Amino acid sequence: MQTEEILSAGIDIGTSTTQLVFSRMVLQNTGGFGKIPQIRVVSKEVIYRSQVYFTPLLSREEIDGKWVDQIIKKEYRKAGIKPTDLSTGAVIITGETSRKKNAEDVVEAIADVAGDFVMATAGADLESVLAGKGAGAAELSRKTEKVVANLDIGGGTTNICLFENGNVLDTACFDIGGRLVKISDGKITYIAPKISWLSEKLGLEITEGQKADVQKLKILTDAMAEILAKAMGLEDKEEGSSDIDRANVYIEKMKTNHGITCEKRPELFTFSGGVASCFEEIGDIFRYGDIGVLLAQSILESDFFQQGNVRKAKETMRATVIGAGNYSMNISGSTIEYTEDTFPLKNIPVVKLNLEQETDITDLDEKLHRAMQIYHESRGEGRQIALAMKGLKCPTFAQIQEIAEKLAAQYEKENSPDNALIIVLEEDIGKALGQALHHRIKNRRKIICIDGIYCESGDFIDLGEPIVSGKVIPVIVKTLIFNG
Amino acid sequence: MSTAECLRDIMETDIMDYMHVDHPYNEKELWKMKHATPARIGIGHCGPRYTTEAELRFLASHAAANDAVYNEVPKETVRKLGVFEVQTKCADKNEMLLRPDWGRVFLPDAQKKISENCIHHPQVQIYFGDGLCSPSIEANIPDLFPTIKMGLEDKGITVGTPFFVRYCRVNTARTIGPLLDAKVTCVLIGERPGLLTSESMSAYIAYNARPDMLESEYTVVSNISRHGIPPVEAAAHIVDLIAQILEKKKSGVEFSNAS
Repeated sequence: MQTEEILSAGIDIGTSTTQLVFSRMVLQNTGGFGKIPQIRVVSKEVIYRSQVYFTPLLSREEIDGKWVDQIIKKEYRKAGIKPTDLSTGAVIITGETSRKKNAEDVVEAIADVAGDFVMATAGADLESVLAGKGAGAAELSRKTEKVVANLDIGGGTTNICLFENGNVLDTACFDIGGRLVKISDGKITYIAPKISWLSEKLGLEITEGQKADVQKLKILTDAMAEILAKAMGLEDKEEGSSDIDRANVYIEKMKTNHGITCEKRPELFTFSGGVASCFEEIGDIFRYGDIGVLLAQSILESDFFQQGNVRKAKETMRATVIGAGNYSMNISGSTIEYTEDTFPLKNIPVVKLNLEQETDITDLDEKLHRAMQIYHESRGEGRQIALAMKGLKCPTFAQIQEIAEKLAAQYEKENSPDNALIIVLEEDIGKALGQALHHRIKNRRKIICIDGIYCESGDFIDLGEPIVSGKVIPVIVKTLIFNG
Repeated sequence: MSTAECLRDIMETDIMDYMHVDHPYNEKELWKMKHATPARIGIGHCGPRYTTEAELRFLASHAAANDAVYNEVPKETVRKLGVFEVQTKCADKNEMLLRPDWGRVFLPDAQKKISENCIHHPQVQIYFGDGLCSPSIEANIPDLFPTIKMGLEDKGITVGTPFFVRYCRVNTARTIGPLLDAKVTCVLIGERPGLLTSESMSAYIAYNARPDMLESEYTVVSNISRHGIPPVEAAAHIVDLIAQILEKKKSGVEFSNAS
């Protein structure tokens, strides 16, 4: 049986810590005799875990790119892995850090040392998903048939992801984390603006320069834990309506981009991230120079553990980095078409066209025209895009030809020949449609037509170098919106 | 009997959507299993026997499989495909089933007809055979063949004149290949039906097909049907396979080992 091993890297540069893992994945043609090839990932194994570094910062807003660069080089050496050994992977600049001004520069800078593999500069939502998968919450939801929420509580943010049957239901992110108040020599040296607002609302009067008062700070972390519990739908037994209103105001203020909108309530909870790894810690409460241990205590005393059903996460501290290394990549279907020497392609915005049934073909060119128009109006012209479609389950020859004809002709009108025609389908018709497109476009334009991948308008995709004798392409779908 | 009084067509519900278990311990999980396989699980029982509907479903599927083997490909279907027809040495369906050896060879007249109606020396000769599943021709060829032909021609590969062989077995390829001097011979032939689908087709592809070739020299793509590999996607895969077979000058096991 045809198998191939590939190496994947996960790099997580978080608000407080920076980590790296390498994973080995085994891909195998599971199609069997007489079948068309079906390449699947049959095993994933983390083969190297770096030590956990404090993220080097030049100032509060700036990551020290040089230091990150050196950490990565050092860890690659220690692991005995060269950047060219890697087929896929993801770099993630997480939490509060990603809002810092030089995040993009850092990602760019480390791309050279880390390898030319597929790369993700995550938004909060993708980070939530990867952390949840790394923590084992997706797997738990499949095994238990329950809705599972993972809360990855890091230094700057709490990334939440709800899973059902292994699939993502919803994500949310809150500016609640262990390092939003920093303490040194018993004095408070930093308070994040939103936490400052919260302490004011609580009437705590916590300010920078002040002596760190455990009791006061505990009231603060209790409130942070309570906000998370309320946001997850856990409610107080003795509820007063004014309390609810107040809680809603807090939830509204503390969310990074959006809260949970799906109606399903989580039945099980798992916790990951640096704060969750402090659950069992005893001793000096401020030894990390922040409120992480206090927040961990508050979570342990909160409604999550009083009312909710909490399970132990598979990974805590390393959930996000393992998620990035093991779960960021999808592989395309195994019967696809593409022009050689086109990869890797990074950060390609997705435009979705409605093609789910026969009748959708009739005005496919019109649909493409409208979608391109809308895209051009909002993002400007000339950019490379990928067209996503569900595709038909078992199309006829005539239908494939009509789809190809409409797409090829209309795409030609609206795009310069430099732009490749990239089609991403769900149904297994990539090769057939690819050949039909090639029949029309010949070599005038590069064509990529892959299947087995689900994405939506507004997503971005990265396409890696073809693997397993060129049969499949590693794909990272950077989904920004999960709601709906 | 008016329509309203008509009996329900039990086959309208797909087997994967049919469950008959009284008080399942975990219905949700059982449905997951049902939707993971077309095998007849979760159909219940009455004592040691099937329930009436499960029994009838079994009989219906079996009847469809029988029909697929015994029915003829209608002349009209062949006409619509726009190809000519020849017959193997078998005089009828029964003979085909009883004499597999005759289903591999042609009488002189039939050979002459093929030779006269086809272009010679194509890189690839493709033809269709009923095999053990007549409905597979109408169900798959209209999408399968044009896709293969267009794909091969786009790669600059010449495709011979297609035709239909009645009472056809795979090993007709041993005659057709040398007769038309094709580098690659590809027969698209109906598969022995099971209880799941009665319109599946396979492609048997051979490089340098000849009377003394080995069975292991065939490269096979099976399970082509709307229930299995969609015909157009199977065709696109076959295009690449044939191109690679032409390049490597071998097919079958040796070809698989070389790729």
